[in-house]
Amino acid sequence: MSENKEKQESMLRITGYSDKFSARPGEEISFYVNSEFDEQYQADIVRLIHGDTNPDGPGYKEELIHSNISDMHAGKNQQIYGGSYIFVPNNELFNVNSFTLCAYIYPTTPYVDVEGVEVGEQAILSKWDAENETGYGLFINSDGELCLRIGHGKGKVEEFSTGKPLYRKVWYKIAASFDVNTGKVFVFQTPYVTHTNSGHGMSMLHPQEDTLGSYHGTSLMGGPAVNDCPFLMASSTLKSKSGRYLTGGHFNYLDDPHEIPIHTHKYNGKIERPKIANKALELHEIELLLSCQGIENIPNELKEVVIGAWNFNANITPNAASTKIIDDSLCKMNGCGVNLPVRGVPGFNWSSDYMSFLHGPQEYGAIHFHDESVDDARWDVSFKFKVPESLKSGVYAARLRVNRLTDSENEDYIPFFIRPAKDAKKAKLCLLMATNSYMAYANDNLSVNSAVAQLLTGRVPLIQPNDLLLNEYKGYGLGTYTTYRDGWGVNISSRLRPILNMRPKYIHILSPSLWQLNADLHFVDWLYEMGYDVDIHTDEDLQNEGVELLKQYQVVMTGHHPEYITEQGWHAIHDYQMQGGRFMYNAANGFYWISTLHPDNGNLLEVRKGDNGTRAWTINPGEYCNAFDGKHGGLWRVRGRDMCKILGVSFTSFGLTYSSYYKRSPDSELKECSWMFEGIGYDEPIGDFGLIGDGAAGLELDRYDLEKGTPHRAFALANSEGHNDMFVTVTEDSTFNARGNILNGTGESNPNTRADIVYYKTPNDGAVISFSSMSWLGSLSHNNYENNVSKLMKNVIDGFMKDGPLP
Amino acid sequence: MSRKHKNPNTSIHRNDSFVAVDDYDTRMYILPYLIDEESRKEIIAEHEANPLYSGTKPGQPAPMYSKALVRLIDKLRVTPQKNKLTIVESKPWEEYKIGILPGNRGGKIIITEESYTTREKAEHAIFLKRLKILLDQYGIDF
Repeated sequence: MSENKEKQESMLRITGYSDKFSARPGEEISFYVNSEFDEQYQADIVRLIHGDTNPDGPGYKEELIHSNISDMHAGKNQQIYGGSYIFVPNNELFNVNSFTLCAYIYPTTPYVDVEGVEVGEQAILSKWDAENETGYGLFINSDGELCLRIGHGKGKVEEFSTGKPLYRKVWYKIAASFDVNTGKVFVFQTPYVTHTNSGHGMSMLHPQEDTLGSYHGTSLMGGPAVNDCPFLMASSTLKSKSGRYLTGGHFNYLDDPHEIPIHTHKYNGKIERPKIANKALELHEIELLLSCQGIENIPNELKEVVIGAWNFNANITPNAASTKIIDDSLCKMNGCGVNLPVRGVPGFNWSSDYMSFLHGPQEYGAIHFHDESVDDARWDVSFKFKVPESLKSGVYAARLRVNRLTDSENEDYIPFFIRPAKDAKKAKLCLLMATNSYMAYANDNLSVNSAVAQLLTGRVPLIQPNDLLLNEYKGYGLGTYTTYRDGWGVNISSRLRPILNMRPKYIHILSPSLWQLNADLHFVDWLYEMGYDVDIHTDEDLQNEGVELLKQYQVVMTGHHPEYITEQGWHAIHDYQMQGGRFMYNAANGFYWISTLHPDNGNLLEVRKGDNGTRAWTINPGEYCNAFDGKHGGLWRVRGRDMCKILGVSFTSFGLTYSSYYKRSPDSELKECSWMFEGIGYDEPIGDFGLIGDGAAGLELDRYDLEKGTPHRAFALANSEGHNDMFVTVTEDSTFNARGNILNGTGESNPNTRADIVYYKTPNDGAVISFSSMSWLGSLSHNNYENNVSKLMKNVIDGFMKDGPLP
Repeated sequence: MSRKHKNPNTSIHRNDSFVAVDDYDTRMYILPYLIDEESRKEIIAEHEANPLYSGTKPGQPAPMYSKALVRLIDKLRVTPQKNKLTIVESKPWEEYKIGILPGNRGGKIIITEESYTTREKAEHAIFLKRLKILLDQYGIDF
């Protein structure tokens, strides 16, 4: 289904995603492809080796893998229907003549979004067929007023509006009723403001009449025309059948996959206590309905007319991850949250006495909807790849080429990771791919949306065909480095959609060159060139298998930026180190943010940025806890797990610009450490070269810190110096900003602006070494792989691979 | 479509205070370096010689801008996204075109025919264009 609207010139014409990140030989991976202009494409499986196309380096490297999918495939355009809503399947009960609709709402874009762009009509509660204009619904109209719509067929729509604008970040009690016998129509919006319930919003609403509105009138056109649309919250129906179904772990409670509509009139904001009755109720009856979560306080006579009373509190303990929306009415018309609306958020009665839905669930009865969120693209399968038994563990991709063209507009890659077979003899080395971080950074669209990004990077962003496609579709659901258009941070990222910045060849906005997966390929290439046998696993594998996965390996290594770790992952790494594992942290700013995978679907990641730390957005009042596990979100350090405890170093500074080099420290000459520096002179600068900012110390930097948990017998082997004035201090280390307080300063003034190489032993002959820079691995290939970064890495790996005690 | 419900026409809704302080800062601390032709030439030459910074060489100070260029370039970088110039990669490592951002999500990025052979050259070209826009706002010939 191609849209006719004029599309962005020069954008990527093909993209896709897979149903899983990692697989073992014998397993099958499904691929979902969007050919933007319905063009045919060649698909192949390739092994990714080096993704950096910089002519100053080894250049791009991949290997073609012969497989059954290598062929031309018919392409078709596949769209994503983003925007969260609640779907209640169609039922004749909802084709009412007389009715009442009511709820509390907290609109966050009642008229315009945070960029000042008009949002248009938004549906709160609807059984509305937008194409045929039948049914009914409570809407926010294009003037930002609450209104009731009754549709009698195309061109025959009645709209009854309060005539008053709704304000952003104000709670309202809203209702509308229609009596088919008398024709009486009643609509009202009443602000409901307490000291605290707005979060960051006004509490002194004066004069209240500016936004307090109601409509009393009559309609002589009869009841709404019946339709076959579902009952939706936070949207209305454009087409009742989309050919797409609710499947996957987060809908595991459904007996059959439900077909969802194509939705429209997407609402931004919160809804609480939504209810519908099949009778026009009096005001005091509406007040009664709104006084309870479900129908617990409702007299029997009133209960009988209530045909929907969705209790957003009903199943949010011990987490608020369920997409099942419970109907407490006698009709039991349960719904499903599509595109992961955020559950367990502060409601109209939030007092701040409780900071979590676990502690005060009665004050967390709201759900927040965003018109850009995506849980799953739900595209049709384009082809499947059965992983051959002989395929070696590594980083691979489905390579897609429109009409076999190889330029950047016509070529895309869908990366995936092949693990060793379960019963295979394991390599001594394991490389842990930071898939949580790939998801967290997904589809930031910062090149187009962010002014601050130019300050962070000190340059004008480079827009590539991937970015143009991403912008065309407003970020394909975005990622945790962005905010939704209502200003709320994106707290959930799905991998069931194209992640256009997780690609080989891609130059990332946050780096002078590479970042995340493509930067990690610098290491993959070097390991390949050095002839090391390495097994690949992902964050999700670690989550599922824990320390037992790591214990199969003598050495476990990271890529350049494993920033997002789950509690289980953090514990597994610590336990591995305790039990004699040797851990190489070839990164900086690792294991920093509390991250949680959905309890029923590991393709979905949640991150709350808190109000402390070097962050893309700040959490709103009362929203600190993850929906996915109910625990406090934000920095791991606020939950007693500073990265120092498992790495010996902690995040200290960042500058997404040019890099610097290291100099050896006295500890590097100690007998416990000197073996790593064999062939490297004491005064030799280390890493004054490289493909990320021309140096091995760059982007983000970590330093030792005994106060935060660096082990007491750790050694500092080297430190970087000479970072420029774009390197700034991490905000979590800043207290009072004061001119002259060098500890809050920039690269040229703050001695904490440095990367420390730290090494220490752990029990049972284990060890940890941390290189503390995100550009470290980018220096490995310099001078045809003959350089002191490469030498140091090789010395460490070779030493770590030897059995027995370390020197 | 004109808005039916208008915001109160107050300084707060217009954000007059921010605009006033930003204007003061620009006039006091940035424009003096630009009004003086010699100084302006020096700033432009400094940027042209080093449009993106570069890696630090051992034993040398990190390459950094003068205070005057820092103040100017940070101001130019943080202007609103609407109609802001950007670099579009038209041929990797060979050709970079000047693009114009829409300022809103999902809007079209206009790709002009003006192209450069390196990111550095495109960066400096955009610096000059942004500088001209700033000077035009203050009626200063460029």
